[in-house]
Amino acid sequence: MEEDGRRSGGIDRRAFLQGAALGLATLALPLGRADASFWESFFQKHFREMNDDEIKQVIDRLEKEYAQKFGKQIEIGADKPIPGVLYGYGLDLSRCIGCRRCVYGCVEENNQSLDPQIHWITVLRFKKGEKWVDLENSEKYYNPEKVPEEEYFYMPVQCQQCENPPCVRACPTQATWKDPDGIVVIDYNWCIGCRYCMAACPYGARRFNWGSPKRPVEKINPKTHYLGNRPRYRGVVEKCTFCIQRTRKDPGRYPACVEACPVGARKFGNLLDPNSEIRYAIEHKRVFRLKEDLNTYPKFYYFFAYGK
Amino acid sequence: MIQAIKNFFIALRQIAVGNKKYYLWVSFLSFLALLGASAYIGQLSRGLIITAMRDQVSWGMYISNFTFLVGVAAAAVLLVIPAYLYNFKPIKEIVLFGELLAITAITMCILFIIVDMGQPLRVWHILPVVGAMNFPASLLAWDVVVLNGYLIINSVIAFYVLYRLSIGKEYKMSVIGPLIILSIPWAVSIHTVTAFLYNGLSSRPFWNASILAPRFLASAFCSGPAIMLILFQIIRKLSVVEIDNKAIFKIAELIAYAMGINLFLLGAEIFKEFYSGSIHSAPIQYLYLGLHGHDKLVPWMWFATTMNISAFFLFLFPKTRENFTTLNMACLFVITGVYIEKGMGLVIPGFVPDTLGEIYEYTPTTQEILVTIGIWASGALLYTFLLKLAIPVYTGKLRFFSKTQLTAARDIMTKLVATIRAETPLDEVVKLMLSKRLTDMAVVDDSDKLIGIVSERDIISLEVGQASGKTAADLMAAPTGTVPESFHIQELGKVLASRTANLLFVVNENGQPVGTIEGSDILKSLEDIRRE
Repeated sequence: MEEDGRRSGGIDRRAFLQGAALGLATLALPLGRADASFWESFFQKHFREMNDDEIKQVIDRLEKEYAQKFGKQIEIGADKPIPGVLYGYGLDLSRCIGCRRCVYGCVEENNQSLDPQIHWITVLRFKKGEKWVDLENSEKYYNPEKVPEEEYFYMPVQCQQCENPPCVRACPTQATWKDPDGIVVIDYNWCIGCRYCMAACPYGARRFNWGSPKRPVEKINPKTHYLGNRPRYRGVVEKCTFCIQRTRKDPGRYPACVEACPVGARKFGNLLDPNSEIRYAIEHKRVFRLKEDLNTYPKFYYFFAYGK
Repeated sequence: MIQAIKNFFIALRQIAVGNKKYYLWVSFLSFLALLGASAYIGQLSRGLIITAMRDQVSWGMYISNFTFLVGVAAAAVLLVIPAYLYNFKPIKEIVLFGELLAITAITMCILFIIVDMGQPLRVWHILPVVGAMNFPASLLAWDVVVLNGYLIINSVIAFYVLYRLSIGKEYKMSVIGPLIILSIPWAVSIHTVTAFLYNGLSSRPFWNASILAPRFLASAFCSGPAIMLILFQIIRKLSVVEIDNKAIFKIAELIAYAMGINLFLLGAEIFKEFYSGSIHSAPIQYLYLGLHGHDKLVPWMWFATTMNISAFFLFLFPKTRENFTTLNMACLFVITGVYIEKGMGLVIPGFVPDTLGEIYEYTPTTQEILVTIGIWASGALLYTFLLKLAIPVYTGKLRFFSKTQLTAARDIMTKLVATIRAETPLDEVVKLMLSKRLTDMAVVDDSDKLIGIVSERDIISLEVGQASGKTAADLMAAPTGTVPESFHIQELGKVLASRTANLLFVVNENGQPVGTIEGSDILKSLEDIRRE
């Protein structure tokens, strides 16, 4: 099949017959599979329509599948939202030095594909004193010797966990939704890969698995959540979940990006808790949210803790 | 049931048999379709990474073609409106071919959506009840509803009309009239909903303009009919179907108005974007002027605009639209112009610059182009097959067996309960007739073959006492009123009409009598069929 792309002038008879044979084989494949797991996963119900027993069964099956595929035990949690919690995120732009440690900390934690490379966090670099709000003058692929650079400032962007998420409205199959703790999640076994959510997202936060996600086994984080960092499939959309596998535990743990930040620019907490750090930032700093004109109500607050 | 199966094979044969040119055309299209299929298999095994789409530009050539084809499906409705509302005869005759085109275009739309999906096996998740259709929140769910509905409506209309014609009957307006009326707003809805699909996204300023749906409709009313005009000319050249020039010129005139509106709307959009010059004009700048040195679409867009403007004038002036050279040129211009403008020219700038300001220039890969060609070839193949079936039905060359032709003597006859031999005494014959209530008796030989008939009239005509001692052989008449059991009702009627007796004997292929048929049997089954 590799050859098709290069041979633009036409395909010879042999290649053509090979292609046709392969086509028939592909069609026959599901029927010929020995294991029942293909059909079980084909007929798997929508996550929110399953009861706890059914979820457990699915997780057992998936853990077996992963063990077979990776030769490693991967634990899939299904922790539910904690009542009385609404997660919020704060990002202090005056501190961010553009080091991208959050980007790689996220990749390490959340089992993103290394080839093709998928990042959930994008750090944008802006030149001081130039246009900012249309993002068009930002640079995503900056690569200096050292950060921070005197004449630039940086703005990391990731899923803003909107209270009014356009992606959720767009999804034709309800494969993505906002849970009561405010996290927008995706059922990777229900997503059909139409990518309408990606067109709908104003923050470029959603990533598609264009190819089969690849990641060395030793780099797979075995502590996962069904709706979060478990290994994904080719042809489905994924995105930041505020590290649902950590933050929904009790006691929880900060998202990986918060932990990775060397300058403490990242704040995370419960918006419903008046004593939380995030509430302090919102109430005492000059906060703004990205593209507020779109009324998406992100729960991701940018602020400036100090001047400069 | 048997009738339906028989008719299915007749239809199949219609598609399978043709002249050399037909086979050449079909093999050419099949070759392209298989080429596309093999490219798609490559995509299935490696993922959409074989396309040039990426997170920045997450829809590309497939969705562009989908968008264009939703517009083509408009063709049918543009023809339906004057045909049925204003009873414009020359167009009415050819609406059927427009509807078949709509069916083809929607089928291609569905194929383009399927090949664009990352997980095509999960397509059932989008259905209501079995899946989890996000209706009414998701515009994509709306699109699934309206497109499939449109496919069903047009299929029902087209196949009902074809079916009635094929059994030699007029179609009933009381049956399809309401469907035709429904199909008009429905066609508008498929364009509107597809436009809203883009329009509703506040994240994409290029699409988030309320002019999008009207522009979408206007351009659809250009490209669809232009394709029809070319198809009509091919149809009338290759078949005996007559398509009035008046119809062709009328449609050409309608395209001129649609294109005029389309250009006006484009102008309105260009004015707003460039005169106000906010940051949201970046995509249109990218389209027509290039943005930060990225200008891959610029020559295409100017080419498309030139095509559309030239076509507008060619369609506008009666002199050029009624000359087939300039008319066909104009059609090709419109198809190319709108294909670029409503295809990649609509979809790509939605993503350039992307929501974080990045400019990723998208150029489809060879595999993507092959899959696209494959779907176009499949569409052409489907339309060819539909025409191959529809044209002979339409011209009256192909008629399916109707029920009257399929009901045979064996189905309506009264089974024979008794036969007699030549040597059977008449006394016994009379007893048999009376006990079994028969008016005529079949006389058979040793091998049960029918050799004669003894009727009650012949016996009555004998004087009293004459019967004794006589046998059937003395009275029997030659078996002329016989019919094979395979004769259908119409043939039976003809035979019966030519005879004075009201009874026919049915014989099998060995000449053995198996039943009888009376005039009333035929009348009854004709009445049953009529009532159906």
